[in-house]
Amino acid sequence: MTDAPLLAVTDLVTYFRTRAGVVKAVDGVSFALKRGEVMGLVGESGSGKSITGFSIIGLIDPPGKVESGSIRLEGRELVGLPVSELRRIRGKTISMVFQDPLMTLNPVLTIGAQILLALEAHEKVSGAEGRKRAIAALAQVRIPDPEQKVDFYPHQFSGGMRQRVAIAIALLHRPKLIICDEPTTALDVSIQAEILAEMKELVAELGTALIWISHDLATVASIADHVCVMRYGKIVEAGPVLDVLTKPKHPYTQGLLDSLPSRAKPGQLLARGAGVTDAAPPPRLHAEARREPKPGVPYFTMELVSKRFQEDPGPIRLLMQKLGLAQPPHGVQAVDSVSLTVTRGEALGLVGESGSGKSTLGRMAAGIYAPNAGTVLLDGEAVMSSGERPHKTTTRVQTIFQDPFASLNPRMRIGESIAEGPITHGIVSTAESAEYVRAWLAAVGLDPAFADRYPHQFSGGQRQRVAIARALAMQPDVVVCDEPVASLDVSIQAQIINLLIRLRSELNLTLIFISHDLSVVRHLCDRVAIMYRGKIVEEGLAGGIYDHPQHDYTKRLLAAVPVLPVA
Amino acid sequence: MLTHIIERILQALFVMLVMSALVFVGVYAIGNPIDVLIGPDVTQEIRQQTIAYYGLDRPLWEQYFTFLGRVLHGDFGRSFVFGMPVLELILSRLPATLELTLTAVIGAAAIGVPAGIYAGYKPDSFLSKLIMAISILGFSVPTFWIGLVLIIAFAVELQWLPAGGRGDTASLFGVQWSFLTLNGWTHLLLPALNLAFFKLALMTRLARAGTREVMLTDTVKFARAAGLSEWTVLRRHVLRLIAIPIVTVFGLEFASTLAFAVVTETIFSWPGIGKLIIDSITSLDRPVMVAYLMLVAFVFITINFLVDLTYVALDPRLRKGRA
Repeated sequence: MTDAPLLAVTDLVTYFRTRAGVVKAVDGVSFALKRGEVMGLVGESGSGKSITGFSIIGLIDPPGKVESGSIRLEGRELVGLPVSELRRIRGKTISMVFQDPLMTLNPVLTIGAQILLALEAHEKVSGAEGRKRAIAALAQVRIPDPEQKVDFYPHQFSGGMRQRVAIAIALLHRPKLIICDEPTTALDVSIQAEILAEMKELVAELGTALIWISHDLATVASIADHVCVMRYGKIVEAGPVLDVLTKPKHPYTQGLLDSLPSRAKPGQLLARGAGVTDAAPPPRLHAEARREPKPGVPYFTMELVSKRFQEDPGPIRLLMQKLGLAQPPHGVQAVDSVSLTVTRGEALGLVGESGSGKSTLGRMAAGIYAPNAGTVLLDGEAVMSSGERPHKTTTRVQTIFQDPFASLNPRMRIGESIAEGPITHGIVSTAESAEYVRAWLAAVGLDPAFADRYPHQFSGGQRQRVAIARALAMQPDVVVCDEPVASLDVSIQAQIINLLIRLRSELNLTLIFISHDLSVVRHLCDRVAIMYRGKIVEEGLAGGIYDHPQHDYTKRLLAAVPVLPVA
Repeated sequence: MLTHIIERILQALFVMLVMSALVFVGVYAIGNPIDVLIGPDVTQEIRQQTIAYYGLDRPLWEQYFTFLGRVLHGDFGRSFVFGMPVLELILSRLPATLELTLTAVIGAAAIGVPAGIYAGYKPDSFLSKLIMAISILGFSVPTFWIGLVLIIAFAVELQWLPAGGRGDTASLFGVQWSFLTLNGWTHLLLPALNLAFFKLALMTRLARAGTREVMLTDTVKFARAAGLSEWTVLRRHVLRLIAIPIVTVFGLEFASTLAFAVVTETIFSWPGIGKLIIDSITSLDRPVMVAYLMLVAFVFITINFLVDLTYVALDPRLRKGRA
């Protein structure tokens, strides 16, 4: 019995029978896991890796169903077990941690109450005893001041602390297996590094086996002993982490590795993203002469710009403030006296963790937010007018946002979305707009016939191409890219990176590239500025910053990035 | 928090002031009460005296400020028709409407919310489909018709319950209430049911929509993954998460029913303020109309304020100042 695996999954098949047809989410997956072992389950979205996890814990929502196969936990068959029996296993023998702790913890219950609910699910505990155990659970995952924190609500915690709470709940009954579904994807790199290290320690300490589901090969490499690579519901390759990542046998695994910017020379097209043949972009409208930089004037500058977000107090509260009856509303200094200069054709990377002010700075560069202080100049001309209600004065700066699904109007055909700006600003006439849109769709590698479709009819990567076409159709000189590849799978990410590299050189664009992903920035950008708490702490050529960071924060940031083993 | 409350009170006072001006002008526009108050055969002299007595000869703005000045002293004037202070008149009718409304709204929530949660939890079961079908009826069938059907069925045919009136009352805090006697309850039941029908449908649908949404969230998945029973998930997680829209609608419905229970009160001859206001409109009893509409504004403001406070109690994210 001691040699028997803790978990043995054999020929697992989970289908979703929908009206549109059968989705074979998991299609014959087999693997085994020993006690205390850490297994990585890697794949891109739709590969079935999460559904495999949910199948094991018995939480497949209809119309999904485990069709066949076997899941044996310590020799006991879980498939076909009645719901009440499964419930006794969940949280006690197998538990689960999800991607976004903001979504998993109940916002209206205190942390203590939620831990107590999870305790009571399998044990009878008194209130006082439960509280003690909750505090101990929080202490175990290294939450400072657990006696006070136990009465906090989830929103009072940072993302990393929230994920620690979720892990505390998962560890509550000392389960034999924990399934972690993208547990660090929503977190900043430095927090991710902490959680990874702590998780490794806890697992070793408690002897818990772990299934670590992730799209990120590097995090899996830093925690797992074994790895299974999934694609289209099947495991295409499995083995010890080092073997799989350094000597991949399956072309798909090789392709995944090749699409990582960290493994390619900066500026080069990524191997995996190649293959899509794109048409040349439509010709520039204005004569190139007009775009020549004015001599003696810096091309694009931001001088001592600041942005403070503050609630508008309203007349009554303002009066009360004057009378000393109310406090002025709390404000957030998002960007604090930042100066930047970008030369023509340069790509500047803006790197920082969430809340560092990088997106706010990018929006001020693009003329979306008016700075409270400071100026933004392109060719010596202000991007925003000054005055009581500042507005954008140029179309030469455009933005590509992170989530194209949120930034494209869902009720507009994408052709209309792309043509809207150029028609309004007289870049193209209404009569010629259809042809213009088709040319741009071809330039970003989409079928020109897609102009009549709506955003929901596209995949994530295609939508991002549409968003790029829409920004570039405005004939900008400077493009602010706000995390344009953050929500994409690695292979799609590689394609978009390649597209940006190509269009940048063909159109001689100046890029301000905002990202939390250091490897993407290194790949795309000539120069890098590191932001921390609204200020730029370090700035310089990409190679210099990555190889010889000066500022402590930059050093910490770089050290936190998980690194892939190299053959 | 205190700042917030002071701010809200100032806002409320402002709204009440605007409301009073609107009401005063509006009521002034709908006719001259003198023609209703005195017969056409009285002498011109008496007519002039009456007009002067009620101050109706003075300009509108002067009447308005006189009215405001009196209101600040708690005096809303005397009813032209009943000859008694308006405030006293309204307060004597208010308890009847209040108990009818509360019974209807609480009953609707007590039945509608669990029914809705069930329908949202098991959307494909036969019972859920039945619940949703009934709720569509509740939405689409007019209140007066349901009232008449209830009277025909339970009062005329079955003779189980009385068709109208308030029945026996008992005294509590110096006010007469029907809900304290069994006979009062038999009178209360049909009109409350009639009033509740639409709200029941509304609560059911709201609770169902909320439950369906919450059941798909990761919060519920995570709770299930921790081994919580379905009952605990529904009671501790789902109910709390769907509470805010339900409380909002509960408050709004309570206020609007309190103010406009007219149809039901008329059908069941329930002596509440709904009937009073209809009577005072037909007899152009200005002070009653003005005071009543002011009361309605006050009730809405108060209930909305209470609803806002409830939000804060229900959702910790709305509490200001992080620890």
